[in-house]
Amino acid sequence: MTPYKDLIYMCPFHGALKGKVFITNYRLYFRSTDMESTVTLDVPLGVIGRIEKMGGASSRGENSYGLDITCKDMRNLRFALKQEGHSRRDIFGELFKYAFPLSHGMPLFAFLSQEKFEENGWSVYNSIDEYRRQNLPSEQWRISFINESYELCDTYPVHLVVPYKATDEDLRRVATFRSRGRIPVLSWIHRENQAVITRCSQPLVGMSGKRNKDDERYLDIIREANGTPRLTIYDARPNVNAVANKATGGGYEGDDAYQNADLVFLDIHNIHVMRESLKKLKDIVYPNVEEAHWLSSLESTHWLEHIKLVLSGAIQIADKVSSGSSVVVHCSDGWDRTAQLTSLAMLMLDSYYRTFRGFQVLLEKEWIGFGHKFTSRIGHGDKNHADQDRSPIFLQFVDCVWQMTKQFPTAFEFNERCLVTILDHLYSCRFGTFLYNCESVRDSNKVRSKTVSLWSLINSDKAAYVNPFYTSDCSRVLYPVASMRHLELWVNYYIRWNPRIRHQQSPVEQRYKELLALRDQYLKKLEELQ
Amino acid sequence: MTMEFSEHIKTANVDDVVLKLPLRAALKGTLCVTAHHLVFSERKEEGSYQLLLLLRSVDAIEKRMTGLSGSSGTIVIKCKDLRILQFDIPGMEECLNIASSIEALSSLESVTELYPFFHRPRELSLSEPWGLSSPQQQYAQTERLWDRWRLSKVNRNFSVCMSYPRTVIVPCAIDDITLAKAASFRQGGRFPVLCYYHRSNGMVIMRSSQPMTGANRKRCREDELLLQAAIDESEMGYIIDTRSAQQAQQARMAGGGFESKAFYHPWRRLHRHLERGKVLQESLIKLVEACGDPSQNMDRWLSKLENSKWLSHVHSALSTAGLVAECVERDGHSVLVHGFEGTDTTLLVTSLAQLILDPASRTFRGFLQLLEREWVQAGHPFRQRCAHSAHSHARLRQECPAFLLLLDATWQLGRQFPVALEFSEVLLLRLAQDAYASDYGTFLCSSEQERCALQVKENTHCLFQFLLRREEREKYVNPLYEATDLAIWPSVHPQSLQLWTGLFLRWTEYAQTMDEAREEIWTIVKERKETDRPKGCAHTTLSRHDSFTNVENLMDELTVL
Repeated sequence: MTPYKDLIYMCPFHGALKGKVFITNYRLYFRSTDMESTVTLDVPLGVIGRIEKMGGASSRGENSYGLDITCKDMRNLRFALKQEGHSRRDIFGELFKYAFPLSHGMPLFAFLSQEKFEENGWSVYNSIDEYRRQNLPSEQWRISFINESYELCDTYPVHLVVPYKATDEDLRRVATFRSRGRIPVLSWIHRENQAVITRCSQPLVGMSGKRNKDDERYLDIIREANGTPRLTIYDARPNVNAVANKATGGGYEGDDAYQNADLVFLDIHNIHVMRESLKKLKDIVYPNVEEAHWLSSLESTHWLEHIKLVLSGAIQIADKVSSGSSVVVHCSDGWDRTAQLTSLAMLMLDSYYRTFRGFQVLLEKEWIGFGHKFTSRIGHGDKNHADQDRSPIFLQFVDCVWQMTKQFPTAFEFNERCLVTILDHLYSCRFGTFLYNCESVRDSNKVRSKTVSLWSLINSDKAAYVNPFYTSDCSRVLYPVASMRHLELWVNYYIRWNPRIRHQQSPVEQRYKELLALRDQYLKKLEELQ
Repeated sequence: MTMEFSEHIKTANVDDVVLKLPLRAALKGTLCVTAHHLVFSERKEEGSYQLLLLLRSVDAIEKRMTGLSGSSGTIVIKCKDLRILQFDIPGMEECLNIASSIEALSSLESVTELYPFFHRPRELSLSEPWGLSSPQQQYAQTERLWDRWRLSKVNRNFSVCMSYPRTVIVPCAIDDITLAKAASFRQGGRFPVLCYYHRSNGMVIMRSSQPMTGANRKRCREDELLLQAAIDESEMGYIIDTRSAQQAQQARMAGGGFESKAFYHPWRRLHRHLERGKVLQESLIKLVEACGDPSQNMDRWLSKLENSKWLSHVHSALSTAGLVAECVERDGHSVLVHGFEGTDTTLLVTSLAQLILDPASRTFRGFLQLLEREWVQAGHPFRQRCAHSAHSHARLRQECPAFLLLLDATWQLGRQFPVALEFSEVLLLRLAQDAYASDYGTFLCSSEQERCALQVKENTHCLFQFLLRREEREKYVNPLYEATDLAIWPSVHPQSLQLWTGLFLRWTEYAQTMDEAREEIWTIVKERKETDRPKGCAHTTLSRHDSFTNVENLMDELTVL
C-alpha cells in the first residue's frame, strides 16, 4: 500500500496539517508529518457519505484545490493537494471505489473481513429463546411459522407471535389489508397483566375508506386476549399525515370499523423531517460550534423537540401497557417510528432490555428482525448521497436511550461508550449486524455465515462497555421525564470531534486523562534533568 | 416567646388546613405560626407528615379568598429555595391573620431577632469554635509566604476598612501607615490584599476595590508602592478589572477609576465585563419564571433559558476566573482583581480561580474555608444581597445572586470534573438554601465588623462547623472523589455549560430520581471500596477500561488545553 504524500488535511481545529494518507479497503488513515503535531485520522470508509472535488486546475487560492468529504457521523474532512500530477485523480478514484463498493459491483467490507473474536455475536439472539423468556407461547398466544420462507411478509422475521385464536388463514387475509403485509404481531407481553405491545403497518383504507372484516376481527382478538375492554392503537404520525396517507392507499383505523379501539396520534414526524433536523444540527456544531445564540439555534433545529415527542410517545405506550391494556403501534410502514416506539417502551417496561445482553436482543428483535431498513436509511456503500430514503431514525432512537441513561444513571448495564460504538459501526460496514433492510435479504446474502457480528466485538471486550454504577435490582418501570427542560443535547456524540469542547467525562476517562497529564509532567521533568 | 414576636401573631393555630406540596398528595392538618417557623402537622395516627418551615425562607406570599362569600382562604408561599407551598385555610379571619404574621415575621429587620440567635440544638454548644480559619491561620500554614508577605493588624478596629477582617496579608515591604494611606485611595477602604498564594511558582492573587482616581486623575504614591511591592522583582502583573473599559472610564465621573498605565507601569490591565447587581437579580427572576412556567407548551423553553442570560453570566464568571488562573499558572504572573466595590464579582472571580488552581480548595473543608475567607470574612454583603430571592414582589434594593452564581459555577466545575471535588451537589444546594435563610449564623450580616458588634459568633452556631461534623459530612461528600494536584480548566463553551437542574428544577420528579441514583452510586462505591481495599479504591476495578480510550483524541485535547 503506497501512501499519498504531501497532502494537507485542513483540520478545522488545528489548521492546515501536512501529512500522508493511506487508503485501504476499510479505512482512510492520515498521519501528520509536521514535527510538532500528533494529529491522526482513522476513518472507516463506511462513514463517508459524499466525496467531492474542490477547485480546478485554475484555482489560485492557497489550499483551494483538493477533496471535500462529507461523513455520516457529524463531521466533514477536507484535504488540499498539489495541482501538479494526477494525485487528486488517483486518490479520488481509490476513495470513491472503496467508500461506495456497491456502486462499483464490489462487496461490502464486512464480507472481506477476517476478524476473529472470542465471542460469537451471532449467538446473542434467537427469537424462539427470546419469546420463551417472555413465557411464550401461552394460552392466548402462539408462535406461527407461517413466514418461514418470507411468503406472508418479506420484511418480517420468520417467527411471529400471534393470537392463539387467529388461524394462519386469518393471518393471510389480514396481510392483504396491511401495508406490505406487515400484520399486527406481538412484540412484548406483560408478565402479570398479560397486556401486549403489538406492532404493524398502516391499514390499507385508501380514499374510499375501505374496511376489512378480518383485520377488524383480528384486532378484537388481540384485545380479548387479556380481557382489555378497549384496545389502544397508537399511530405514530401526526393526524394530518395519517389522513394524507389515504391518498396513496394507506390510512388509519376509523372509529366505525374498530369499535372497541381508541386511536391516538403521537405527532412524530417522518423520515424527511428528521433528516433535515439533523442537518440543521450539524450546521451549528461542525466545524464551528455556534456561540452567541447557542440555545435558540439549538431550538431552531427542533432536534430535541423530536426526541421529546418520540420519548413521550413511548411513555404513553408503556403506561398504557402497565395499566393492563393492550396496544397496537404503527406508523406508515411500521419500520421506523414504530420500531422507535416499541423498543423504547420495552426498555421502560422490562429491565432485561436494560442489561448488556438484553439491549442487544432488543436491537436484534425490534430493529434488525422487524426490518428497519438499515441499508436504505444509512446508504451503506452507495454513492447516491442525496437519496431521499436516508434518515437518522436509528440515531434518534439511540439518542433517546442516552437521554434515559442520563436520567437513570444506575439502571442500565451498558455505558455511553457502548452506544457510541454501536453508532460508529452503524456506518463502518465492518460488521454484518446493520447491513441490509430485512431478514430475508440477509438470509439470501448469508450474512450470518459470511460476516462477523458487532456483538462479537463488544462482548469480547465487555469491561469497556459496562456501566460501573449499574444496579441490577432496578426492575421497576422507568418513566423518563420527557419535558424539554430535562432533555440535553448529547454533546459527547454530536460535538465529539471538537477538541475544544470539554465533554462531561465519565470518572474513568477523567482519571485516565489526569494520569496522562501527570505522565507528561514527568517526561518534561525527565527531559530537564537530562 | 418574647413580646415583640407575639405582637405579630394574632392567630397561632388553625385546624383543618389543607397543605399542597410539590410531588405530594394534599395533606390535612393543623397549621401553627411561631416566632420563627411555620409548623404544619398532619392529623393522622401514625407516620404523619410534619413540615417545619423557617419563616425567613419565605420570599413571597399571596393570599386569596375562596369558598362561599369568602368563608375560607388560600395562602401561596413562595420560598427562597424556589419551593412553592399552598395552604387552604378555613375561616377568612384566620387566613388573613396567618398571612399577616408570615409577612411580618419573615421580614424582621433586626439581625438579633433572627432565628440563628434562638437556634439551640441539644448536640451543639455555643462554646464550640465558630468558623474554620482566620487570616492568621492561613498565614501560619503557608511558610513560603513568610519572607515576602506579612500579617497586618492595621484594621484591628475596623477603622481603615469597615468591610475587611481585622487582619489581612500584605507585602512585608509596606508598613501600616502606608497601608492606611493606600486604603484611603480605595473605595470603602478596600486596599489590595493577598487572597491566594500559588505554591508552584510563588505568584499571588490579590483583590481590592477600585482606586478613587476621579475625574482629575488623582494618584496615590502609597497605593502604587503597595502594588509595586506585591510583584517585587518580577517584571509585571495583571490587573483583571471586572468592568468593561468604558465602565471603568465612566466610573471616574463618580470619583472612582482604574490604575493608569502611567503610574502603575508594571501592571497590565485587562477588562472583562461581568454583570452585577440588578442585572443579575433580574436574570435570576427570569430564569426562575421560565423554570416554573406551568404551560404545557414547551416549544420555547430553550429560547426562554437563553433570554434569561443566566448561563451567559455563568460563562463570564468561569471564563474570567479561567483568565486569572491562566495568568498565574501559565504566564507566571501575579494578579489583582477588582471591579467597583470589590465585594461581589471580585469575590466570584477570585474564589473560582482558586477552585481551578488550588487542590486544597476542592476538598470538603477547603471549600468551606474558601467560602469563609473569600465571602464571609472578605465582606460580601450577604444581608443585602440575599434579602430576597427570585419570587419576591418587594421592590428590589440591593439584592444580587452573586453567591448563587458562584455555587452554580462550582456545580459546572463538578459536572465537568466528576472526581475533582470532594463535596457533592448536595452541599451546594444546602449552601444555596442557607445563604438565604438559615438556622446558623454564618451568613448573617455583611462584614466582620457587623458580626462583632452584634456578637454573632457568641450567640449563634456556625454552619461550616456543623457541616463538618462526621454525621453531617457524610451527606455532602462526593463518592467519586480522587484528589488531584492539577489545575482543572473548565470548558466555557455554551455547549459545555448546563442548566443546574438540581437547583432550578429541584422540586420536580426528576430531582427525586436523581437523588435515588446518587444514593445507589454511593452504595456501589462504598461496597467496592471495601472489597478492593488492599488495591486502592473504585478506580482499580475501573482502570482496566482505560486502555480502550482513544489516546490520540485525548492527546489532542490535552494539547489544546
